[in-house]
Amino acid sequence: EESSVGQVDIPETDATIIRVSFNQPESNPQFIALEEMGKRFNERTDGAYEIVIYPSELLGAQRESIEMVQVGAIDMAVIVGSLMENFVDEFAVFNLPYVFYSKEHQMDVLQNQDIVADLYSSVEDGGMKVLGAFHGGVRNVYNTSGPIETPADLNGMKIRIIDSDTNIQMMQRMGGAGTPMGQGEVYTAIQSGVLDGGENNELIYSNLSHAEIAPYYSYTRHLMVPDYIIGSTNLINSMSDEHQAIFMEEIQLAIDHQVDLFDSEVEQAIDTAVAAGARFNEVDIDAFQEAVSPVIENMLKTPESQKLYEDVQSAALPYR
Amino acid sequence: MELALQAALILFIVIAVLLVIGVPISISVGFGSVIALISIIGFNEGLILSAQRMFTGMNSFTLLAIPFFVLAGVIMNNGGMALRLINLAKVISGRMPGSLAHTNVVANMLFGSISGSAVASAAAVGQTMGPLQEKEGYKREFSAAVNIGSAPAGMIIPPSNTLIVYSLASGGTSIAALFIAGYLPGILWGLACMAVIFFMARRKQMPRSERVTLKQAGIILAKAIPSLLLIVIVIGGIVGGVFTATEGSAIAVIYSLLLSLSMRTIQFKHMPDILLTATRTTVIVLFLIGVSMVMSWVMAFTNIPALLASSLFGFTDNIIIILLIMNLVLLLIGTFLDPTPAILIFTPIFWPIAQSYGIDPIHFGIMIVFNLSIGTITPPMGPVLFIGSRVAGLKLEQVIKPLMPFFIVTVLVLLLVTFVPQITLIVPELLGLFN
Amino acid sequence: MTTIRTLLNKLLSTFCIILFAFLVLLVTWQVASRYFFNAPSSFSEELAKYCFVWLALFGSAFVFGEKGHMAIEFLKEKFSKATQYRLNLFSELVTLLFALIVMLIGGIQLVLMTWSQTSASLGVSIGFLYSAVPLSGLFIVLYSLANMYTLSKEKRT
Ligand code: NA
Ligand code: NA
Repeated sequence: EESSVGQVDIPETDATIIRVSFNQPESNPQFIALEEMGKRFNERTDGAYEIVIYPSELLGAQRESIEMVQVGAIDMAVIVGSLMENFVDEFAVFNLPYVFYSKEHQMDVLQNQDIVADLYSSVEDGGMKVLGAFHGGVRNVYNTSGPIETPADLNGMKIRIIDSDTNIQMMQRMGGAGTPMGQGEVYTAIQSGVLDGGENNELIYSNLSHAEIAPYYSYTRHLMVPDYIIGSTNLINSMSDEHQAIFMEEIQLAIDHQVDLFDSEVEQAIDTAVAAGARFNEVDIDAFQEAVSPVIENMLKTPESQKLYEDVQSAALPYR
Repeated sequence: MELALQAALILFIVIAVLLVIGVPISISVGFGSVIALISIIGFNEGLILSAQRMFTGMNSFTLLAIPFFVLAGVIMNNGGMALRLINLAKVISGRMPGSLAHTNVVANMLFGSISGSAVASAAAVGQTMGPLQEKEGYKREFSAAVNIGSAPAGMIIPPSNTLIVYSLASGGTSIAALFIAGYLPGILWGLACMAVIFFMARRKQMPRSERVTLKQAGIILAKAIPSLLLIVIVIGGIVGGVFTATEGSAIAVIYSLLLSLSMRTIQFKHMPDILLTATRTTVIVLFLIGVSMVMSWVMAFTNIPALLASSLFGFTDNIIIILLIMNLVLLLIGTFLDPTPAILIFTPIFWPIAQSYGIDPIHFGIMIVFNLSIGTITPPMGPVLFIGSRVAGLKLEQVIKPLMPFFIVTVLVLLLVTFVPQITLIVPELLGLFN
Repeated sequence: MTTIRTLLNKLLSTFCIILFAFLVLLVTWQVASRYFFNAPSSFSEELAKYCFVWLALFGSAFVFGEKGHMAIEFLKEKFSKATQYRLNLFSELVTLLFALIVMLIGGIQLVLMTWSQTSASLGVSIGFLYSAVPLSGLFIVLYSLANMYTLSKEKRT
């Protein structure tokens, strides 16, 4: 165990430091992938750049981190997809329920420049650029009382969701009552019965020990929201062409690395959760998919969104 | 480390200079932080980011509990609550020698368990108890010292705005757990004061109060029950997980409002004034929180805690010595600085260090709040010290000597709280709020 | 100067009282909607948070007018009257500079930068929400000027 105090080691160096704001702890696969990318990037640029990642919201929450990147106060951040909707509506398409069939389908779309190039560059006016996207896990419903198999099973249950209108509508269609709440309060709220459960990927479900209090984890697979890596335009423009090329290459490698790491992390998380009493069950996904389809229609208002949604669906053919 | 050193020097020198010459604390902290920030990320970047940190630092649902608890306190204080609580305290402290002095301590603890303000408590309880004690032959200096020495216990007994501020500064420690953890140390504070009174009363043969009949006791209790029920509903609800601290604080407002309206101790036409009074108290704390978030960001960005850890604690790995030094620094700082700004400044520095030694965040929070509460009565300055001597009609110098024994015992309790974590953690553990 | 102060006081105190009262009702309603009607609201929590920051900022400006913010006074009191006067003036100047440069100028840039970003649950511009920073900064600047004016008048009499 390192004995150094404070969560970040800032190197004494002549290199240009690239500062990254990150919301999860250091154990997260995204952190690990970015950190190793930093080491490789440092080597390949002969020490011109050094990446320092601030974990656990040390520099601020994700929405605020976007603004820090825009200002140029920091250089990079990892941002959940739902926040990108606040800048450009079309990002919402990738956050719709059941829009991706599998992790492979999702990563295929997120890396397909024919589909995403316009979207990723659409925020450049705001002083930032989307450099790529991590897999952010698959969100499933968990609760205190029993396995969920159909939307009727969720009837009357208060399920904690991330605060957004789409999410509230979605949970209502799925049968439950979506209750937005800060993650810090969720454990006690479930324990005391204020909430009946939550929805999240296996990693967070296990890390937050929610298995102890809400042991029924049902694979509704309703959301697969990407996490975007954003960088300030200042950072990218200040790099030489050669360094820029290496940088983008390394970002791609980091994403591939994270996707590989993710599966084994999920397996470990499941083991931990099972040891804490969790029971995992499969679900009638078709019923849920049908239930939430009006939400999708509601969200696809602009021609651009519809086009994007169609592109995603055609890319799904090999994965069905 | 160079960047950290540069930022730390600018930060502390500018803040200290401005503080000493009497610039408002919030502006001193804000100004120092912005200059440090500009020196590391540039002029425009520094300005925009400062404005953002100020705003987002206050933009928290948790912090909303502060104006509501303040408002509930103001409403209750307007409604003759102090007298009812003092009568109840009389019954509780019984016929011990020096019973009126004990009554003062108990009344301060009861008052603190409803409102979070030690200053309001010292004023309200002191105003009523002072004349009563004088009539029974207590020395005025002694009664003032008792009142001053025991009033800060209410800052640790929940509800406690200071603990809410710590929760925020430490990155979201559970408020329910902090609240429930505050009871035992807060009560110990009161008991320590009572022990001092007990010894002095026997030596100086202080008077006992007359016997209260069972019927009288019943009436007194019945009158105090509506106020006490607030504790049961609000703290019970928060700790039992029925609602969040913020929701509980809103319920406290509604409850105290309905209670005061029904007892006709306030009327609706008083509400604008009451709201404005609560606004004043609240915004002072909140503006400070806002600017402190600029400072916290500078500290996190440059990793100042590591720099301080190596320079302040580099000579030792012994957690006992480290905690002792922290307490010493906080006692010193707390003498001059109010608990809220001191928590906002020192939590981001000390907490990562304590954390790396496996200290529990709840334990650490109670320790830091306990310590800084002592600062409100440490001469030569402190809000409770000032108000306590003013309501007694005494000069500051006159209360310092009789206050000393109380000051010493509270420091002893602080040492207990620091080195016996069980005192803090046992109640939350029993209630399953801590694992 | 006195009329400006009176006008500002009236404006800000009324605003704070209304906002505070609204906040109490809003959060009470949120608790009620969650427990009695089983209809949790994402809108109310966001709205409450932003109203609260606005209350804090505009209330702070009001309290700067009353010179009510905490300060360490006891060292200042050791100096001569003339030095105290200069220190008080300097203190107002520092307050003015902070409000002008950080809150007003920094705040305006922040508002411009975030004007096109929308808040998910409220559906309004984040820049609009941030505008409380430059606005309250402007009020603090005005109050500091008024305070300096009052100080210099007291000095002369
Ligand atoms: Na209290
Ligand atoms: Na003091």
